[in-house]
Amino acid sequence: MQFSKIEVKQLHKTYHVPQREAGFKASVRSLFRPIYQDVPAVKPLDFVIESGEMVALIGPNGAGKTTTLKMLTGLLHPSGGDINIFGFNPSERKPAFLRSISMVLGNKSQMLWDIPPLDSFFVLAEIYSIPKEEAVSRINELVEMLEMREILKKPVRNLSLGERMKCELVASLLHRPKVLFLDEPTLGLDINIQNRLRHFILEYNHRYGATVLLTSHYMADIERLCSRVLLIHHGELLYDGQLSGLNQMIEPIKMIRVTLSQQNGVNPKPDWLPASAEIVSQEKQHLHLRVAQKEAAACTAALLHNLPVADLIVEDPPLETVIDRIYQDGDL
Amino acid sequence: MRYLKLIKVFIKTSAQETLMYRANFWVSLLHAFLNLIVAVLALVILFGQTENLNGWNLSSTLSLLGVYLIVSAIRNLFIGPSLEALVGLGQEVWNGQFDFTLLRPVNTQFLITFRIWRLFSLIDLFLGGAVLLYSIFQTPQSPNLLAWLLFLLALVAGILILYAILLAFTALVFWNPGYLFTWVFDAIFQLARYPLGIYPVGVRIFLTWIIPVGVITTIPAQVISGQTGAPIVFLILAASVFLFLFASWLFNKGIKQYHSASS
Repeated sequence: MQFSKIEVKQLHKTYHVPQREAGFKASVRSLFRPIYQDVPAVKPLDFVIESGEMVALIGPNGAGKTTTLKMLTGLLHPSGGDINIFGFNPSERKPAFLRSISMVLGNKSQMLWDIPPLDSFFVLAEIYSIPKEEAVSRINELVEMLEMREILKKPVRNLSLGERMKCELVASLLHRPKVLFLDEPTLGLDINIQNRLRHFILEYNHRYGATVLLTSHYMADIERLCSRVLLIHHGELLYDGQLSGLNQMIEPIKMIRVTLSQQNGVNPKPDWLPASAEIVSQEKQHLHLRVAQKEAAACTAALLHNLPVADLIVEDPPLETVIDRIYQDGDL
Repeated sequence: MRYLKLIKVFIKTSAQETLMYRANFWVSLLHAFLNLIVAVLALVILFGQTENLNGWNLSSTLSLLGVYLIVSAIRNLFIGPSLEALVGLGQEVWNGQFDFTLLRPVNTQFLITFRIWRLFSLIDLFLGGAVLLYSIFQTPQSPNLLAWLLFLLALVAGILILYAILLAFTALVFWNPGYLFTWVFDAIFQLARYPLGIYPVGVRIFLTWIIPVGVITTIPAQVISGQTGAPIVFLILAASVFLFLFASWLFNKGIKQYHSASS
């Protein structure tokens, strides 16, 4: 049976980085006597991703997300551990493996800047040995999905960031990779383009059953695309599971939105509120509170009892809030 | 076959990119001619003083200039621009763009050698060929078929040595992405304009055994003017293969060192 998933066992990476103090003198000194330090970027990681799954790799800056992606694509050699992607070891960089994966980097471009995107696509078609006719039909299909026909003949250097990202996606998907690695694909793009790209990635996943591993700082990317998240912090896997389950990581909380029938200044910490309740914001008649789940009912009762409440909503905290708290608490 | 097709595509794409900056054609043409005139003038002045310099006369030195121009034209045609895209500040290895090169299902060394073509160098190639032919017609005894064959072999060996040296220098970039190793090499390569024989012994040894740029041009020129024969040609051919294998090994070791750049 063919191995058709991504399996990572005890994968880790330690960087050997030069240490240097600030200042010119220190720079000169390090020229002759560099001092190195071992920095563990990724501590032993284990996870399995099934074929066709869309998984988000999240974590604060410097958590080890990109390092992990680069080990999975064979760009970086792991310090230890095993990676098995559809039967291949990425470090060997076998052509058959490279043909079955693709990587989109939100901050780097694989396009040739001086010529129109269409020409770059044909160079890639040649590199991936895609026959000309097949290449044309694939380009057409992707171009339709992304609605970008009008930019195909302009030099890449004249395109906007969003238009360039569309080109990057076509360039990355031309060879129909089975596994797609997306590193911050929506970085710096406007909401409209972000939405379009998300829609496109979903559609590509449905059409070709591609496995997608994505990193992003935009929660909307993750909520829309991935039902499962891997949360990395300080190079360690803190959470692997459903997006909705992240809330359970921290002490579960509820958010309460209150609209008052009349403007009524509430002092920041009224004594009638339960201990865990906290007023997050207060603006005219609107009050926004955070409270531990177990005290939510008591808090609601206290609010109704003490204030002229016109409307009250109890809801789950937005994902950003949860993740922000996890990042801040650090080692959970 | 597939690789030949790829080279064709790379040449075509480079031509397209070049055509975006058409004015450069005239600049390159001017540069090529100035370069040639200065070089020939220097030789004419030199041999106005003396007929013979350690066994080299005007026409054999002109042959050497022809070989030098041909070899540097081939270097500038694709080896130089392709490798230079990797090395130096702001370049591929430094900024992490090399990620994409590594992701291609094509031999990486092939890709970084043949990717970028500077087609204006064909002007230099043409001029170098003209200088070489002119100098050969100046000599009383024109070379026979065997001499031509040996010359071609020596030229191939010379180009292979040059490539190996450049590749080895390029590979060092993986250990320190900001280095400008190839600049050092450029200064040394200038010395290959003149016959090895005219340099002091110390320089001669350096240019033969340490950084063998002298061999690259001197041997083919000696072969075509009948000063040396088959044994030497096969010796440098063997040396070139050895250097090529060593440089390829170093480059592939370098790739494993590649740290990429953070995002």
